[in-house]
Amino acid sequence: MKRLALLTVTSMLFLSACQPSAPTTIKLGYIGPLTGDVAGLGVDTLNGVKLAVDTVNATGGINGKQVVLIAEDGRCNGSDSANAAQKLVNVDKVVAIIGGQCSGETLAAAPITEAAKVILLSAVSSSPDVTKAGDYVFRDYPSDELKTTAMAKLLTEKNLKKVAIISENTDFAQAFRTSLKAKLGAEAVVFDETVDAGTKDFRTLMTRLKTIQFDVFIPDGNSDSIIGPMLQQFREAGFSQAAVSHDAADSVTMAKNLPAATNGLMVINTPSSVNDPAFASTFTQKYGEPQYGLAFAGFAYDDANVLFEAFKAVGTDGTAVKDYLYALKEFKGVSGTFHFDKNGDVVGIPYVLKQFQSGSIVKLSDISVD
Amino acid sequence: MLQLLINGLIAGSLAALIAGGLALVYGILGVFNLALGQMVLIGGYTTWWLHQVMGVSLFLSILGGMGTGALLSWGVFAVFIVPFYKRHRFLPLVTTIALGMILDGLILLAFQESPRSIITEGKMPIRFMGTYLNLPQMIMIMLTVLLLCLFAWVMHGTAFGRRLRAVVQHDYAAMSLGIRAPVLHRLIFIASGVLAACGGIFIGVDMNLSPTLAFPLTIKAYAAVIAGGKGNVWGAIFCAYAISLLEQLVVGVHWFGTLYIPAGFQSTVALLVIILFLLLRPQGLFSSTTRAA
Amino acid sequence: MTFFLHIVAMICILLFPVLGYNLVFGKGKIMHFGQEAQSIVAVYTLLVLTTQMHLSYGFSFFCALLAVSCVSLALAWLSLRLTPDGFGVLSIALQLMFLAVVLNWQSVTRGALGISGIPRAPWPEAQGLFVMIMVSSAVLWIACMWVIDTSIIGRQLAALSEHPWYGEAQGISRRRLHIIVFLLSGVGSLLSGAFYSSYIAFLSPSDYDFPAMIFFVMCVVAGRPGSVRGVTIATILLVVLREGIRFIGLPIHLIGPVRLILFGLILFVAVWIRRDSLFPRQRTV
Repeated sequence: MKRLALLTVTSMLFLSACQPSAPTTIKLGYIGPLTGDVAGLGVDTLNGVKLAVDTVNATGGINGKQVVLIAEDGRCNGSDSANAAQKLVNVDKVVAIIGGQCSGETLAAAPITEAAKVILLSAVSSSPDVTKAGDYVFRDYPSDELKTTAMAKLLTEKNLKKVAIISENTDFAQAFRTSLKAKLGAEAVVFDETVDAGTKDFRTLMTRLKTIQFDVFIPDGNSDSIIGPMLQQFREAGFSQAAVSHDAADSVTMAKNLPAATNGLMVINTPSSVNDPAFASTFTQKYGEPQYGLAFAGFAYDDANVLFEAFKAVGTDGTAVKDYLYALKEFKGVSGTFHFDKNGDVVGIPYVLKQFQSGSIVKLSDISVD
Repeated sequence: MLQLLINGLIAGSLAALIAGGLALVYGILGVFNLALGQMVLIGGYTTWWLHQVMGVSLFLSILGGMGTGALLSWGVFAVFIVPFYKRHRFLPLVTTIALGMILDGLILLAFQESPRSIITEGKMPIRFMGTYLNLPQMIMIMLTVLLLCLFAWVMHGTAFGRRLRAVVQHDYAAMSLGIRAPVLHRLIFIASGVLAACGGIFIGVDMNLSPTLAFPLTIKAYAAVIAGGKGNVWGAIFCAYAISLLEQLVVGVHWFGTLYIPAGFQSTVALLVIILFLLLRPQGLFSSTTRAA
Repeated sequence: MTFFLHIVAMICILLFPVLGYNLVFGKGKIMHFGQEAQSIVAVYTLLVLTTQMHLSYGFSFFCALLAVSCVSLALAWLSLRLTPDGFGVLSIALQLMFLAVVLNWQSVTRGALGISGIPRAPWPEAQGLFVMIMVSSAVLWIACMWVIDTSIIGRQLAALSEHPWYGEAQGISRRRLHIIVFLLSGVGSLLSGAFYSSYIAFLSPSDYDFPAMIFFVMCVVAGRPGSVRGVTIATILLVVLREGIRFIGLPIHLIGPVRLILFGLILFVAVWIRRDSLFPRQRTV
């Protein structure tokens, strides 16, 4: 039995290694969480990339070459992401990788792509560590620095001084919390609790919140499956204070499921419709409602398109693409008109303020962050 | 303070439903079921599917969810438990890990990752003496108590319950008196499956269902069973409420002057209960008397 | 070729704790599901001391060895004190407990963000050379385990697992054996953690959750519990299979769930085949 298994596996590896690498295609890799806690995020970003690939292939490809997308599951952890990156870089010989999505995935894949001089372009990683991860590492997701600046600006404008925040213990939510606290100052944050990833019972924290004077509540979860119950229990406890959250809360599903509890919730998010107003409808038509949020799909879509533009201009050599991306003046994406700074972080992503109004999400205004 | 009690009651009802069934299974068969959390989720997800996708009325959907729980646990018992537990009672520990992985995969395939709520209409809380509670929660707590009462009546007021308790006390002795123990074993496992499904429905109504909830639920149920004493259903139910209340108190009360325990450590309450009880009082709070032959 | 080397490296990294665990769970039939508790303590002590407090690698390694030995001794003591099923649940609880501490003690462990930018420092920078070192250490470790397995310790362990009372009546010290096997498995965890963190250059708590532990159990059960050769082969095959699934060309959104289901089925079939030998019935007179 063992021998049979060995035979199957080796022949599998052998067959795949022997696939002729036709020079008429360009191989693009993708790493993201397709199973586990944040699989919804992976599905959205993957669909964003797919949409870009399908569009470019339908219009004749890049300089006549079709783009082939090879996706791998990074499972939101280091070892799986490293395995995936090794496979994409050294077996498939992809010219660039879009990913990872969780910061842990990006950080584990970075040394591998760096050594092979392959571009790693992340759509969602927000951790500050990604800035220093390497020369070939880029992200078009604004680091938390920018997001929290926008949030702080909003809070000042609305004259909301005392902040109560409940965060989920994941890299995404924790990076946001740390950065926001640095922006607002320690005395402005009057209530600051971190709960286990996946917690859905916040009633006691709400009871404790009763004894505290605060102006605004910030549910800082990784996804709407956490932010939903958090808000519901917040309103059930009888609070009337404003609630503000970030892109993870910008979810149509949540608006539909909890029309009363989410009513009035403000979220800051990137527009995902800047240079292409039809992006939302095209995406929904093809893949249905996004599982986490359209913004994430938009970033992944932009990732793929900025790479395609680079391929068209300078070909697929890693170093040439890297130099092109650093020199890029501006790229018109759905998330904004942006370019990359010297660390590979994105510059120029705008923020918009949206509000939940009895079951639907309405755009209120733009927030300019300079 | 009263509110903390109510919070504990809500969380406790959920834990008691799951732990009560587990206490029977673990106490009588000595069988570990590490796929319990997944069985909870499947019950909840089926109800969601029937109600939100197929448009079946809520009452029927809940019955459907419980029915699925029963069918699933029957199948699981036949395939993953029976062929193994007579050989060695630790084998199901490993087979249910395998089952958990398979069910996790199936849940992902069938229901995807985004959160699912069984009820989406507004759930307006009822306020009373500075506390609050919403209607579904109230119904859930009452139903749980009702279910547990029914359970008590069956256990202590019927001939069937007497046979069940006989099996709990001594398998072989009961069999020698003409009680068909294997049939009862199956019934017990199915009962635990139905209770687990009820737990899943509770989660789906009160909060929402997402695919990775399973393992923490299992761990909390084990904590209650261990603290309650092996084979002692009432002990397990009591301890499920107690642990839930403790979890609320840990993060809800000033412990050291003005310092609170960080909420991140809330889930370690159940773990600590497991560790401390096993170390200091392995027979549990209410040790049951097992008659030895 | 680089990918092949990478797979070899991942196999070597896994072999250290898996073979240690095989001694405890496979050979000794001790219901231990907290191998990752030892791993967490070992790897975090090592990395917090080197990357956060900037102490020398040698000293940190020594401290990590001390820490993991303490945890292993504690586990050994618990395994002697508790009933088998009690210890099984307790070891799972301990692992989750350590994970919770690592996640919440953010000032020291950086919590969910993980520790990034870990230097390759004491090991060579070149991948080929590093993998060579790992392979030779792994071979050494396998040989070591094999010697222990066939030595008096292995035989005493087997005797105890078949019948503790008769074993003790023959003058076998249960305490001594448990301490030895837990210490060995702890050392395996530490070696694996040291190699792994330097190799990947990144450490995240999500690499040490319960599914990681399940993979150890799978390797031991599938490879014939207690057999060094069998478990080694099973580990190699399972890692190759885990990575090999990527090459089948399944629709992307199916890969994740299909892998879960497939591995669940493999585990089930493995238990089915070994249902008589996994936990041998106690010999009765």
